[in-house]
Amino acid sequence: MEGRILDHPILNFTRKKRVKIFFEGNEIEAYEGETVAVALHAAGIKVLRYTPINGRSAGLFCAVGKCSSCLMEIDGMPNVRSCMTKVKAGMQIRRQHEKGDLV
Amino acid sequence: MKEYDAVVIGGGPAGMAAADVLGDHVKTLILDENDMLGGQLVKQTHKFFGDHVHYASTRGFEIANKFIDKIEKKPVDILTSSTVIGIYPQNTVAYVRNGHEDQVKYKKLIIATGAMERQLPFINSDLPGVYGAGAVQTLMNQYGIFPGKRFLIIGSGNIGLILAYQLAQTGVEVRAIVEALDKIGGYEVHANKAKRLGIPILLKHTIVKAIGDESVQGAIIAEVDDKFNVIAGTEKEIVVDTICISVGLMPITELTEQAKCKIAYIPELGGYVPVRDERMRTTNPDVFVAGDLSSIEEATTAMIEGKLAAMQIVEDVKKIDLEKEISNEIKTLAIFRSGPKSLKIRSGLEKMGIVTPRIEMPKFSPLPNSENGKLHAVIECTEEIPCNSCESACKFDAIKVGENINTPPVFDPLKCTGCAVCVTVCPGLAIFMEKSDESPNATLGIPYEFLPLPKSNEKMWGMDRDGNYVCDLTVKRVVKNPNKTYIVYVDLPKEFVDVVRHVTYPRKENPFVCRCEEITVDQIEKVIDSGITDFEEIKRITRVTMGPCGGKNCKMIILGIISKKTGIPISKLSHGTSRPPVKVVEFSAFLRGDKK
Ligand SMILES: Cc1cc2nc3c(=O)[nH]c(=O)nc-3n(C[C@H](O)[C@H](O)[C@H](O)COP(=O)(O)OP(=O)(O)OC[C@H]3O[C@@H](n4cnc5c(N)ncnc54)[C@H](O)[C@@H]3O)c2cc1C
Ligand code: FES
Repeated sequence: MEGRILDHPILNFTRKKRVKIFFEGNEIEAYEGETVAVALHAAGIKVLRYTPINGRSAGLFCAVGKCSSCLMEIDGMPNVRSCMTKVKAGMQIRRQHEKGDLV
Repeated sequence: MKEYDAVVIGGGPAGMAAADVLGDHVKTLILDENDMLGGQLVKQTHKFFGDHVHYASTRGFEIANKFIDKIEKKPVDILTSSTVIGIYPQNTVAYVRNGHEDQVKYKKLIIATGAMERQLPFINSDLPGVYGAGAVQTLMNQYGIFPGKRFLIIGSGNIGLILAYQLAQTGVEVRAIVEALDKIGGYEVHANKAKRLGIPILLKHTIVKAIGDESVQGAIIAEVDDKFNVIAGTEKEIVVDTICISVGLMPITELTEQAKCKIAYIPELGGYVPVRDERMRTTNPDVFVAGDLSSIEEATTAMIEGKLAAMQIVEDVKKIDLEKEISNEIKTLAIFRSGPKSLKIRSGLEKMGIVTPRIEMPKFSPLPNSENGKLHAVIECTEEIPCNSCESACKFDAIKVGENINTPPVFDPLKCTGCAVCVTVCPGLAIFMEKSDESPNATLGIPYEFLPLPKSNEKMWGMDRDGNYVCDLTVKRVVKNPNKTYIVYVDLPKEFVDVVRHVTYPRKENPFVCRCEEITVDQIEKVIDSGITDFEEIKRITRVTMGPCGGKNCKMIILGIISKKTGIPISKLSHGTSRPPVKVVEFSAFLRGDKK
């Protein structure tokens, strides 16, 4: 049951404009106002990076910008908290490997 | 550099309550790093406890909206998406907004930045799919994303319990809540909401390991002893794709430290907390704290603390006398904290030199439950928790809580008119409607917050307080309500009106009636269909009621099935013979003479 909740007994989710974003080069569904981590989750993508020392997979943990577990490479910039970054049309998102290359 | 009389950092209930008061008197700025004010409230879909002054029985996100409306009408500057990164000398706050750093000066500062979730180390706790409970709520309630399919929740405090219920509302499966202690941490009514959905709460259990290569595919849980060590051999594997950690919150004191406030380690309050007085002033006279940052508590106490700090600031800056209002708020706070669930907070505050006056809890004698054949409420709220929303909602004076908000409600069935307003307001969903008269069937009204909404005449299953199947029943009507707690009225055999507490659509699997002998409804019905309708005979053929529980669990259910199939009321059925022993006893107990 991945994806977006359509009917909820208490809440109404109205989605804003659809935007095109790319994960590892492939287009995924996203809506204005969502964060990168949210759009990836809706697409069933939970592994957001590989850790610098042991190369272990890592993903979201706090979803509110506190733990830095969700660092990704967004539009070429490494170490961006994907849970705090809103999607933008044309965004290129990649899993971060190790500490991320500083350009 | 811009200067304010008061700057508030953090727009949760504490910060918003403070800004609400400050806005009436002094030049105020409120900063929050999220894109809207509200803090924890924005992702809470349940109705909050408390009193009506503090928005009791309003859903968390709606409390946030109401507060925001109020504050926006006042001359308060609101800066959202603004992360405070430091407090500098000369009363300066530095924050980052849209990628740029900026600074403001304050005369007085309120820090209300809330708390952070505690971590729990276990093997593979870093795997994607292991989340803080708050993260799951953010995905699910703020953004409308399914965080997974099958869940395990670690910790049975209010957050874990509420999360379990909220997940079930979206239709996903919660496999279990595990709790290392020997009792449930949160409120009984919250636990009951989860239990009647059939979510097991496993006490004295912990998680040992998350299983999975790239992300979570399962978990190993095990029993623990009194010292919380895993008992070898009790490990078992459960299939889940998401593990939610809700083992408590801890204040984040960084900003208070930078503002040169003294910090103390007081575990009862949540760990390291800023030292402050009764009016929320820290050891730095220009700096106040409020809410979860000062002690891990509730939205209501956070709001009162925010108001207190704000009033003191108004006194300091404007020299307006608010002593009467301040002492009123201190008294309200003491009343909220007078219940047994606040014992830890009271002792923690004492360590800081703040004594909470004892407030006696008047004991009302329970009124006799008169079964007069009329529709009336049944209140199942026996724990002392700070809430009086049912009393405030009842226009007929049938529910009494009294001055101490922690007193459990006392209900007068004679005054109850059956209006059911209390059922819809109760944040614990602990009130039901019942009507039982001479006829073999009774009416039961159940608060219901799930989809799809049942329709009149639909056949459903009645489930008991632990989520076990009890009987088939028929929906009579569904009463909709603007706050989305609907009431489903059902028609069911009278014997089960005090047993059924939830309804669900029939599942394909066959429910067990006798858990000792593992006998299903189907098996019983087949025997009855073959012409055998006598209880004793069914017992001999199927072995129902002959297991270790002696029929305590299943006897009524079997009689209900016989009654339904034959049309004979239960009162007219023979219910078999009871033989000793009525409880499980070792054989050796019956041996006479020397013990061999
Ligand atoms: C699942 C759950 C259920 C709950 N149920 C109830 C209930 O039924 N009844 C009840 O009374 N209470 C309940 N609570 C508790 C209640 O939500 C909290 O006690 C309350 O929100 C604390 O308020 P606060 O203002 O101190 O902190 P928060 O609500 O946490 O707000 C703090 C705010 O500060 C902001 N912030 C933090 N750091 C910075 C920074 N550096 N810069 C800018 N902004 C910052 C955060 O973004 C946040 O918005 C529940 C809590 C949870 C998690
Ligand atoms: S998940 Fe914690 S910072 Fe993004």
